[in-house]
Amino acid sequence: MYKQTQVIGGKGEGAPRFSQTLRSITVDGSERLYAVGDSELKVFEADGTLRRRWPTSMPGHAVAVAEDGSVYVGESGQVEIFDRDGKLVSTWRDPERLGRITAIGFASGCVLVGDAADRAIRRYDLNGTFLNDIGRNNRMQGFRIPNGVIDFGVDADGIVHATNPGKHRIEHYTPDDQLLGHFGRFDGIDPAGFPGCCNPTNVAVAGRERIYVTEKAEPRAKVYDFQGNLIAVIATDVFDPNCKNMAIAVDRRGRVYVADTVRLEIIVFEGDAES
Amino acid sequence: MSDHPTRRDALSRVARGTVLLGFGGTSVFLIDKADGQVVWQVDASRCVNSRLGDVGAPVCALCTTECVVQQSAVRAVNNFRECGRCYICPAYYNIKSAVDENGLPSEKLCPRDAIERKPIGLVDPEDPANNFYEYIIDEVKCDGCGICVKGCKEPLGLGSIILKVRHDLCVDCNHCAISKACPKEALARQPVETALEPTLAAPATR
Repeated sequence: MYKQTQVIGGKGEGAPRFSQTLRSITVDGSERLYAVGDSELKVFEADGTLRRRWPTSMPGHAVAVAEDGSVYVGESGQVEIFDRDGKLVSTWRDPERLGRITAIGFASGCVLVGDAADRAIRRYDLNGTFLNDIGRNNRMQGFRIPNGVIDFGVDADGIVHATNPGKHRIEHYTPDDQLLGHFGRFDGIDPAGFPGCCNPTNVAVAGRERIYVTEKAEPRAKVYDFQGNLIAVIATDVFDPNCKNMAIAVDRRGRVYVADTVRLEIIVFEGDAES
Repeated sequence: MSDHPTRRDALSRVARGTVLLGFGGTSVFLIDKADGQVVWQVDASRCVNSRLGDVGAPVCALCTTECVVQQSAVRAVNNFRECGRCYICPAYYNIKSAVDENGLPSEKLCPRDAIERKPIGLVDPEDPANNFYEYIIDEVKCDGCGICVKGCKEPLGLGSIILKVRHDLCVDCNHCAISKACPKEALARQPVETALEPTLAAPATR
C-alpha cells in the first residue's frame, strides 16, 4: 500500500511554483528532486524546499542527473548540460537526431536521449558523438507514441526499459539496440493491464527490482516487478483527470514522485514495508 | 411654420433610421448568406464532446436530436492529420469492455457501427500491434451523436474526431435549431473559409 506524503511545487507565481508547465522530474543520489517546467530548472530538497533554480534557454521536456552531478536538460532540438551549480557547460545540437527530447538517461558510460519527433532513443558518448539508435529497428521504425512522448529508465545492469504506449508494453533493450523482451498488454478493466489507446506513458526504474509507470485517462501510477507482475497500484484518484504524460521518478528509499501536469505539482508517495 | 424640427420630427427620424439600419443589417446578412459567405458550423473548441476539460461530462447528443434534418446534418469527421492511427482506438472500441481472445476490446463504441477499422499496409500476422490502423467514418450511417468524438477527446485520444455540419445535408435555417439548444454556443455562423477546411470538406455520400 502506498500513501501520499507530500506535495511539492504547484501552479502559480513565485520561485517554488510552476506557471505554465511541469514536464519532467528526476531524483539524484542525495534525494534532491530536479524538475523542469516553463523555461526553468528547479532543484528541491527532500523536504520540498527549493534549493536553487536556473533558467534554460528553451522550455525543458526532460531532465537527468549524471553521476558527476551534471544536469542534462532535453529541449526542442537540443540538450543543455549544466554543472551542479547551474552553469551552462555545453549544448548538444544534432538537427537530424535531436528533435523533441522527452527523456534522458545514462547507461554504460553513454548518454541516452529520447527523441519523440523521430520516435527513437539515441545513444551518444559523453562527448556528444552519436553511436546508435535504440528502438528503430522494427516494423514500425520506432516506438509507437500517439501520446507524443518517449520515456525510458535504465536499470542497475544498464538495460533500457522503454515505454511503447501504442503497443501497451514496456520493452527491454540493451544499449546497443538488442530487444530482450517486453511485458504488458491492453486491458481496460484489469489494473494489471494498460488501458486506453496508449499506455503506459512514463516509466522509472529502481535497481534490479521494480518498474514504476504512469498512465493517462484515467491518470494512474503503478509498480511492477521485472517480470511484469503488478505489485501495486500506487495512486489513481489524486491526479487531475486531464493529466497526460505524467513524469515519474523514484529515490533510493523507494519514495515515488509523480508530476501532475495540470495542477503542476509533484506528488510524493511512500509505500509500507510490503510495498 | 417654424424651421426648427419638433420633438415628434426628431423621434420620427430616429425611428426611421433604426428601421433602415435594421433592414440594412438584415439585407447584408441575407446577401452574405446568399453568397455563401457564412454558414453554420460546429466550433470544436466549444463543443462539450471535443473541447479540452470536462473529462467526466456525459456525451452530448443535441446535434442528433435537435437538427431539423431527419438524420441530422452533423457528422463525425476524422481529421487524419491529427489521428494517431492507434492499434486500439478509444473512439472505435469500447475500451471498458472485456478483452477478447485476441487481446482486443470485445465491443465497438459506435451504436450505428459507422466506423471502419483498416490496417495500413501489410498486416503483421505475428503481432497485430505492429500496424498502423486507419479509422474511416461512414457518413451514411453516422448521425452525429458524438459518442466517438468523446472517445477520441484528449487526453484519452488525440481529439482528431470532431463534429462538422455537412453543407450538402444542411438546409441552412435562418436560426439553426441545434444552435438554439446548444448550451455551449458551439453552433455558430462562420465564414466559409474557416467553416470548410479543405481536408474536412468532403461531401457526405447520400
